[in-house]
Amino acid sequence: MTAYLVSILTEGAIFGIMALGLNVIWGWSGDFDLAYYGYIAVGAYMTLVLTVGPAVAPAQYILGLQLPYPLAVAIAVISAMAVALIVGLIALRHLRGIYFSIVTLGAVYVMYVFAGQYVPLFDGYNGLSGLFDPMGDWFSLDYLSYQYFFMGLSLAMFVVVYLLMWRISGSRFGMALRTLREDERAAAAFGRDIYRLKLKGYVLGAGVGGFAGALFAAYLSAFNPSAWSPVEVIVLYAAVLVGGRGNIVGVALGVLIMGMLVQESTRFLPSVPGLGQLNTLHPQVLLALRGAIIGLVLILFLRFRPQGLLPERRYVDRQPALDATPGNA
Amino acid sequence: MHEALLTLGFALVTASILALSAVAFTLEYAVTNVANVSHGEILTAGAYAAYLVHQRTGSAIAAAIAASIAGGLVALAMHSAVIGPFIRFGASPTIVFIATLGMSFVIQNLLVIFFGAANVAYTLDPGAPQQLGPFLLTPLDVEIVASAIAITLALYLIIARTRFGKALRAVSQNRELARVTGINATRVAGATFFLAGLIAGYAGFVLAESVGSFNPYFGFSFFLITLTAAVAGGLGRAFGTMVGAVLVGLILEFAGGYISASYNLAFAFAILAIVILVRPRGLFTNARRTVFE
Repeated sequence: MTAYLVSILTEGAIFGIMALGLNVIWGWSGDFDLAYYGYIAVGAYMTLVLTVGPAVAPAQYILGLQLPYPLAVAIAVISAMAVALIVGLIALRHLRGIYFSIVTLGAVYVMYVFAGQYVPLFDGYNGLSGLFDPMGDWFSLDYLSYQYFFMGLSLAMFVVVYLLMWRISGSRFGMALRTLREDERAAAAFGRDIYRLKLKGYVLGAGVGGFAGALFAAYLSAFNPSAWSPVEVIVLYAAVLVGGRGNIVGVALGVLIMGMLVQESTRFLPSVPGLGQLNTLHPQVLLALRGAIIGLVLILFLRFRPQGLLPERRYVDRQPALDATPGNA
Repeated sequence: MHEALLTLGFALVTASILALSAVAFTLEYAVTNVANVSHGEILTAGAYAAYLVHQRTGSAIAAAIAASIAGGLVALAMHSAVIGPFIRFGASPTIVFIATLGMSFVIQNLLVIFFGAANVAYTLDPGAPQQLGPFLLTPLDVEIVASAIAITLALYLIIARTRFGKALRAVSQNRELARVTGINATRVAGATFFLAGLIAGYAGFVLAESVGSFNPYFGFSFFLITLTAAVAGGLGRAFGTMVGAVLVGLILEFAGGYISASYNLAFAFAILAIVILVRPRGLFTNARRTVFE
């Protein structure tokens, strides 16, 4: 039971960091980005090729270094941001709405196909493995205490990212991103460089995603094309939407609800009287049931409570002296 | 030269299936202004229905009809349960786009629950390949191409000549104005979805035949290619979409034949990204926007 608790807390913290990164792109900047899971994957793959050492035939992959974990994470984050910069430079220039979504969907499938098919990159469908207990030997931890250590590390990183997002949320940059979401033309009229701002937000969000991916790689100790799929981003969208798009407290709540409640409750469904046969139907049934529930929750929230459980607070102008309606001047 | 002609023959088959799927997708787009991401699941439903009926009856024709009807019903359900209510509620196209993505996720997972995630092998006897003009095609290939042409002609007649077709064109051009003139836009959109579903369900059946197997995710990957064809042809334009489908089919088969088929999806999206960036309203656009032009 403790081991179970440790694993869901670790997963929840990593999932929370992913959702916070997505919130920059969708919650603040307002773009429905389907490539997001690709940046998580870039972070995970890069962390692995930078830490697991040279490839042993028949496996093959790029780099194959043995850097210390924190340095590898830093480079992985930069790589994710670089990929996002390329995608963003193309997709954010003129495209908005579904055209932006379609191009980012294309981008992530190109990444997915290359990661899976182009063997010299990340060893194709076999993927990468062998990152065991990073930083564990620094403190000479045994297997069990390492699990606690990594849980603590993930939770601490979630808090750090959360505080960072909290600072950005109230900053001029955070406000400017929101004005783009609300009205791009008005923002442009006030002299904002829309393309630059959107690009900055996009790359920042992808960097957070890449960081979560780097933690995820260490948690799984391996990564391959069956460990991720571009459509998994729906789960993250559901979390951001349910909690409250744009509001980081809401996003944290959404992660708690979607990640822990929905994801974990299906695990206990078979113990509910009358549902015991669920386990015997098909090994993938519980996973699929979870997916169906998440999709359904997403649709219901979009329709009946698009602002989420904890809606973003509207910023009110507290300087009535600046009221410029005709007749008041 | 011979090699190229062989590839051209395969491309013709791919393009036919792609044209059916893309034209159905574009009809859905025309009456709702929404890109239905769960379009691929209509094809998947068609493939499963065809397989189940074929197993029971042993008749390919019954299987084709079952695929068509299942596709029509699934598409109608998508419109009445999710897309229609969202539009009446006044949701933006992006919000409905996200909702249909969620719907696609739900349907895929329901199919896994009921049928399992494993590949289902499903092939008809293609018959011996025959020399047909310059191409080498099996009788099954010929049937696929011929049925695609027949369906396209029938669709053209429905849209151009019937009262329903007129209402469809009206709703696609200006939903509000159509309603003012007494057209029940929701009902027309629902009927259009049913029609598109009939075509897409059949496309799912022939796609399963030509690939030889399918699984719950099979329609979604084909949807990605469908999207490329539809965007290349201009979203909401039936005729342009068909030309787009032929072009994309050709490029995919030649790229797949000469480079590697495993990168097909990446190729499709490279084309898609270029088209969207260079000619976002489709390759063959002028100022007017109608379903058939």
